[in-house]
Amino acid sequence: MTQFITAVLTSLSSGAIYALMAIAIVLVWRSTRVINFAQAGQAVLTTYIGYTVIQRTGSFWIALVVAVVSGAVIGAVIDRFFMRPIFKRVKSGPIVMIAPVVATLGLLGIIQAVIGFVWGITNQSIEAPVSTGGYKVMGTVIAFSNYNLLVLVFVAIAMLLLTLLFQKTNIGLALRASAYSPEIAKLSGIKVDSVRTLGWAIAGASGGLAGMLYIPGYFLYPNAMDLLLVLGFIAAVIGGLESLFGAVAGAMILGFAIIFSTTYISPKLFFPTAFIVLILVLLVKPAGLFAPKKSRGA
Amino acid sequence: MKRATLASAIVATSAMVLSIVPAHADSTGVTATSIKLGVSTPLTGSAGLVYGKVPGAMRAYFDYINANGGVNGRKISLVIRDDKYLPTLAATQTTNLILKDKVFALVGALGTATHSKAYTAAALAKNNVPDLFINTGFSGFTNKAKYPTTFMVLPTYAMEAKVMAKVIKDNFPGQATFMIAQDDEFGSDGVAGFTTAGHKFSSTPTLYPQGSMTAARAEGALTALAAAAPGKPVLVLFGTTDVTATILKAAEKLELTKKFTFLAGSVGADANTLLALGVKPTTIDGVVSASFLPDAKDLTDPYVKQFIDINTKYNKGVTFDNYVLGGMNSAMLTVQALRAAGKNLTRAGLISAIEAKGSKFASAGLVPLGWSATSRVGYNGYWVSQLNAKGEGQPYGGKLVIYTTDSGAGAVEISNFTRPTMPKNGIPTNS
Amino acid sequence: MKKAGKVHKPTTTRKRLFLFILFGWLLLILGDRVGDLELYQGSFVATYALAITSIVLLTGYSGQLSLGQSALMAVGAYAGALSIFNAGWHPVVGLIMSALVAGVFGLILGLVAARLSGPYLAGTTLALAISLPTLANQFPILGAEEGISFDVGPSPARFGEDFSQYKWFFWISALAALIMVFFIVNLLTSRYGRTFKAVRDNPVAAQLSGINVGRLKVNAFAISSGVAGLSGGLLVMLISGVSPSAFPLSLSFSLLGAAVVTGLYSLKGVILGGLVLVAIPEIADSLVSRIGGSEGFTTVLPGFIVSALLILAVVFTPNGPGHLLKKHH
Repeated sequence: MTQFITAVLTSLSSGAIYALMAIAIVLVWRSTRVINFAQAGQAVLTTYIGYTVIQRTGSFWIALVVAVVSGAVIGAVIDRFFMRPIFKRVKSGPIVMIAPVVATLGLLGIIQAVIGFVWGITNQSIEAPVSTGGYKVMGTVIAFSNYNLLVLVFVAIAMLLLTLLFQKTNIGLALRASAYSPEIAKLSGIKVDSVRTLGWAIAGASGGLAGMLYIPGYFLYPNAMDLLLVLGFIAAVIGGLESLFGAVAGAMILGFAIIFSTTYISPKLFFPTAFIVLILVLLVKPAGLFAPKKSRGA
Repeated sequence: MKRATLASAIVATSAMVLSIVPAHADSTGVTATSIKLGVSTPLTGSAGLVYGKVPGAMRAYFDYINANGGVNGRKISLVIRDDKYLPTLAATQTTNLILKDKVFALVGALGTATHSKAYTAAALAKNNVPDLFINTGFSGFTNKAKYPTTFMVLPTYAMEAKVMAKVIKDNFPGQATFMIAQDDEFGSDGVAGFTTAGHKFSSTPTLYPQGSMTAARAEGALTALAAAAPGKPVLVLFGTTDVTATILKAAEKLELTKKFTFLAGSVGADANTLLALGVKPTTIDGVVSASFLPDAKDLTDPYVKQFIDINTKYNKGVTFDNYVLGGMNSAMLTVQALRAAGKNLTRAGLISAIEAKGSKFASAGLVPLGWSATSRVGYNGYWVSQLNAKGEGQPYGGKLVIYTTDSGAGAVEISNFTRPTMPKNGIPTNS
Repeated sequence: MKKAGKVHKPTTTRKRLFLFILFGWLLLILGDRVGDLELYQGSFVATYALAITSIVLLTGYSGQLSLGQSALMAVGAYAGALSIFNAGWHPVVGLIMSALVAGVFGLILGLVAARLSGPYLAGTTLALAISLPTLANQFPILGAEEGISFDVGPSPARFGEDFSQYKWFFWISALAALIMVFFIVNLLTSRYGRTFKAVRDNPVAAQLSGINVGRLKVNAFAISSGVAGLSGGLLVMLISGVSPSAFPLSLSFSLLGAAVVTGLYSLKGVILGGLVLVAIPEIADSLVSRIGGSEGFTTVLPGFIVSALLILAVVFTPNGPGHLLKKHH
């Protein structure tokens, strides 16, 4: 019984972390139709910035705010000064689809190299702000702590805020319109380019949050977020890349599948499970579980 | 007929002459004024965090010797290549050391899976490249047929397991015992050692693929084990230090630190590293381990004092710990080996020198060295230590007891070995 | 109407065969004149060039972006290793199995992939790339991290004592790569091959003119996977054994990067791509020894150079350096 409870709670914790990354990926996709692999680099970069803030001030919460804000700034800068010129230059041919992806891969490498150069490559660690001791349930200590709860709470709040932004505000409408039909959006007076930059900023902020919440359980080094990026991407694809709710749902499904299969079947099935879940979902629904029924324009 | 006989005589003679001429490759990497050594080892990644200091420590010792005349007038240089503890990278880096850097010999190669792959891939046997004092205890490396140029230094994992089995038998009778080990030759060597010693665990040892022990995994494993046995079971951890840290931190989270007696294999029990990785001092207090070198914090030991001195002068910015101690110790053995091989330094000569004279080399090791014409085993025993909250490893039970054994079915014996006196200032003068 | 430029006479297969043989013979002579290190590196160049060929075929010619070539290389590598080590077959058979098994795997994958577009395909292949190598830990026969030995044996006795192992590797990898690339070039310039270009440039029009786009994409996946599988087998031949760590995700990224840098739409740049991948760590090495720097710097520099190159390529020559040259006419 304890094993089951542990598994459920660990699944929720893992799923929540994947969700943060998945949200960032979906945000960029929805506002710019690009899969941003550099997200892993941006998130770890903001976490390093947060780490430096903790070294100076000793406060996790200040570092969190700084990380989120710098995430937004970095995201905006990348879009404005890196992605925009690329979109301008690459207009035709199948390379249109590939170029931004490859460019973000290149950017990821550069960011990680710069981090290694500035901060060094040895592992660092960040202390969690609240207790990581497990709760006592029915006499035994389970693998769920205040910290795990904190992560869940943050994910819920983030999802709520973002959904409100996208569904209920004008800016959100502009974000969605610019992503789906840039030409029409332009005609209705929306500054597509600026709106897109805003989308990257929000995604960057989300990544910053993800990094600061993820790292305290692990080590901080330039490639620390690579695995999370891949899992977040898979989660987003499972959910359908089109909705934030889908991203979180996909992340939870992935989290549960992985934890349960590694606990009950075999610990070595961590990655194969991720792949199998992905394939099963895409075979049944090639556009993801929560994709809108209406087909998108090309 | 005559011509054929003459021709064949010429051919035969030339063949004989040519076979006497020594191959040029035998002293690759050696010049009149220098000796080039090489090592492929993890510098980055989680293994790099733990072992990254070792090559620098070796180099520091070599610099010290160079400043004091070198070896027979030659200065030693060490080429260090990062293999991130990945077997395929170790294979290519070791090949590069041979083909590109053209080193004379390898010293201190690290890792079981990494080095066994690298040995084959870089064709070390074919090129007769001496493979000195490897940083792994996998007993397979003692197989001269498979690894003709390799000399171990660490006692084998099988030996360590046998000593641990004796410690459990003598000190924790009646308690349940469990084991968590890395799923490769390193871990299975340990499991085999326990089997040879006749020890049976309360449940089949848990094996995890290297790199996959996450916090969640550790929590799950500990929860299961804690539920499976009453009392205070012994938990043997046979993994690298970063994994021991993950498991201990999971124990802290689940408040199971006092539930188990942790018996951590020497590979994964460095107290400083555990503390640096975030394990609480109260958790480390009481962890049992084994070692063959003195503890790096034992300032009464002359070797430790000397190495600390060298570290301060030649390894600036690096804190002295058990890994630095181990690196310098291997470097000291290397210098003695190079000296013993004589001025006419060849690869074959180096190998025979260690076989003939190696067991008498001076070193910080508290257990005997076993190199001979028939054995490639270095240190062949352990003393059992217990960590305290300050991170010091002190003799378990208060008295230093040295156990020696072999990797096979031989019994574990108590030895009264005393190590050779340290050469003056830590500078070997052997020949 | 402006003149459309030079009119090319299509090279006949025979002419091409002659060129390939000539090139192979030149490589042979070159191989005799260089040292073991160059032969070792040359083998990697040939292997990577082959892997890049598979990417050009899949992404450049049939428009499917896959981030999982490393997984397909792994399939080929394990198939080859099992054939040689476990089944005891001849090394040549082993290499053929590398291509065949990977090709069949690619066929199945292609059937799934045909239903997926853009990012979904990228995501699936990404997941495949990270999960497939870990299967080696699940099935004991695959040897886990220890892996399986891949031994093509020493050079044949008739070549003499001095024929180094590295020269033998070079002969095998260069020959295998040449044969495979010859086959692919012929395929792409044939009538069937021209349908690839048609689908790439305008899938809708191609479909309307009767080309079965779906079938074409699946075939492309299968063939590309076979090529990747062979390159995987060659790669593990060079390191004497296959293990999961031989095929990290970063390999897929590096190969894709090299393909973009040297031209995604043409096979002309694949050798250059292989050279780039082998040269970069070397350049980084010598840069570091020249300007000095901590070991940390040494580790990050190659990644930095590759990434910078990638970005420059995407920004300045998104259609490959060939286009850049054309502009200057």
